[in-house]
Amino acid sequence: MDFLIWHLLRDSLRRNPEKEALVHGAERLSYRELARRTAGLATGLRQHGLKRGDRMGIYLDASVQQVVSIFGASEAEGVYVPVNILLHPEQVMHIARDCGMKGLITTSAKLEALAEVLPQIPSLEFLVVTGAGEVPSGINVPVHRYEELCALDSPGSWRETSIEKDLAAILYTSGSTGKPKGVMLSHANVVAGSRIVSTYLGITENERILAVLPFSFDAGMNQMMTAFEKGGTLVLINFMFAREIVKVLLKENITGLAGVPTLWSLLAQPNSTLDKQPLTSLRYITNTGGAMPQPVLKILRQHLPATKVFLMYGLTEAFRSTYLPPEELDKRPTSMGKAIPDTEILVLNEQGQLCKPGEPGELVHRGPTVSLGYWNRPEETARALRPNPLLPSEMGDCEKVCYSGDLVKMDEDGFLYFIGRRDTMIKSSGVRISPTEVEEVLFQTGKLRGAAVIGLPDEMLGQVIKAFIVAKDGQTVDTEVLLADCAQKMPRYMVPKFVEILSELPKTSSGKVDYPALRRREGL
Amino acid sequence: MDSNEARIREFVMKTFPLARKNGIKADEKWLETGMMDSLGILDLVQFLEKEFAIHVSDDELLPENFESLNSVVSFVNARQGGVLKS
Repeated sequence: MDFLIWHLLRDSLRRNPEKEALVHGAERLSYRELARRTAGLATGLRQHGLKRGDRMGIYLDASVQQVVSIFGASEAEGVYVPVNILLHPEQVMHIARDCGMKGLITTSAKLEALAEVLPQIPSLEFLVVTGAGEVPSGINVPVHRYEELCALDSPGSWRETSIEKDLAAILYTSGSTGKPKGVMLSHANVVAGSRIVSTYLGITENERILAVLPFSFDAGMNQMMTAFEKGGTLVLINFMFAREIVKVLLKENITGLAGVPTLWSLLAQPNSTLDKQPLTSLRYITNTGGAMPQPVLKILRQHLPATKVFLMYGLTEAFRSTYLPPEELDKRPTSMGKAIPDTEILVLNEQGQLCKPGEPGELVHRGPTVSLGYWNRPEETARALRPNPLLPSEMGDCEKVCYSGDLVKMDEDGFLYFIGRRDTMIKSSGVRISPTEVEEVLFQTGKLRGAAVIGLPDEMLGQVIKAFIVAKDGQTVDTEVLLADCAQKMPRYMVPKFVEILSELPKTSSGKVDYPALRRREGL
Repeated sequence: MDSNEARIREFVMKTFPLARKNGIKADEKWLETGMMDSLGILDLVQFLEKEFAIHVSDDELLPENFESLNSVVSFVNARQGGVLKS
């Protein structure tokens, strides 16, 4: 019976061990080879002390090693924590400390950058380094070689104690305040998400899926799971220009591609060469992480006449939520679709009652992909996951549903339309950004008395960040220097694009920053 | 330092905050250090076209032409010398 994440891989291995499972550049792995490395790594991680439920960080770029690490950690009954490669050491440290990371897999180059924060991660017991690079000196925990672990002989099978209710992964994501929070996904969440999405996308063993989205992002991870669940092939890519994606689509006969609006905008530009040759293999594309701009959608449909376009919506806390069937695209191009199979989407008003068609309310998700909440944050979990208000009281609080914080409305046929956020969270290039996290970094420069950031609409990125700042008395602030200081502490997508110096920030009567007033200043 | 390199350096310093902080090493890869993302690279390409009055064709949009200061400078120098790289 298949109920754990790595069972998806095991089942496809049994069905067709020589089938191509994973491709990255010149590297090609069959299911047999992928499973062998995964089992070797799992054996090594266990030998070095990883136990059921221990958190294993994976800080790697898109690579065979990254995929093997995810499944290896999982097969060792650990919890994998994929860390976005764009994050800086300070943010990696936050994640490692927050989840009590026991082991971390990374490259020697990244390890060098991390060396100075490692002593501040008390839970860390060992490291695994990929590639042949030298291990920097002064690291005070054992460092093992990934390649050596992968080559270990697996004892065949060990007594597996995990069940589907167990924690499988923690994905870090931002909200409207504070530092990123870890969304806890059970094996049941991830497996259900894979089965649901592979069903409505009609994924089969013939699928060749190109992974552009990172696996630290729920949609990226889900895409990988669907490929392995069905015994298809997953192709990885690192790219600089959209043109390289088009080349791989052709060369590898890619049948499925998931992206965020920014990726589609890049592909819709003439220099992507998307229109130069027909991509006859490309059966479907899926969009998530924000609405696809209508002009971009039009160009893609022109250049990809035989490709089905699925517009999707999901939030990490509920993994996957809605999709618009391709046949509805002409009728409702601005819709985010309706509930995925085995899922119900409720639109609730402030009183917790169902909204009428057209009435704005909060999107509330119920189904098997509702996550376990945030790691070590009971209060925030209680706000995001609440008892289903529509159950008969006799049932008690037996079911938790996910309050998304997204305002939507539903039409007469049950299709949903996005209106906006309930809070101040910013989304750029599909990535959630907490205004307070950016503001904290601005304050760390020591030059500011006030700082507030908002999202401005941007055609390419969805939103970009604008910062309003107030200098400390007697200080003059050079905004270019300020942004340079910020850029050292956080990834590029979090660094404000615009800065305006104010003498005071607008405040509400209770003395808090008046964000709506700042948005009005920008005509929003 | 030749003047092409100086002009490119100046643009990168002005546009990418991390460059101002950490400086620019000639062979450091922009994407790997996180100084630029793929959109940033496109801004750089646009700048080169305007600043040096060159046209970058689709076939020249290759990582090896734009991945570091060294590669960008040699690309621009080659283009100005009339040598096409694609």
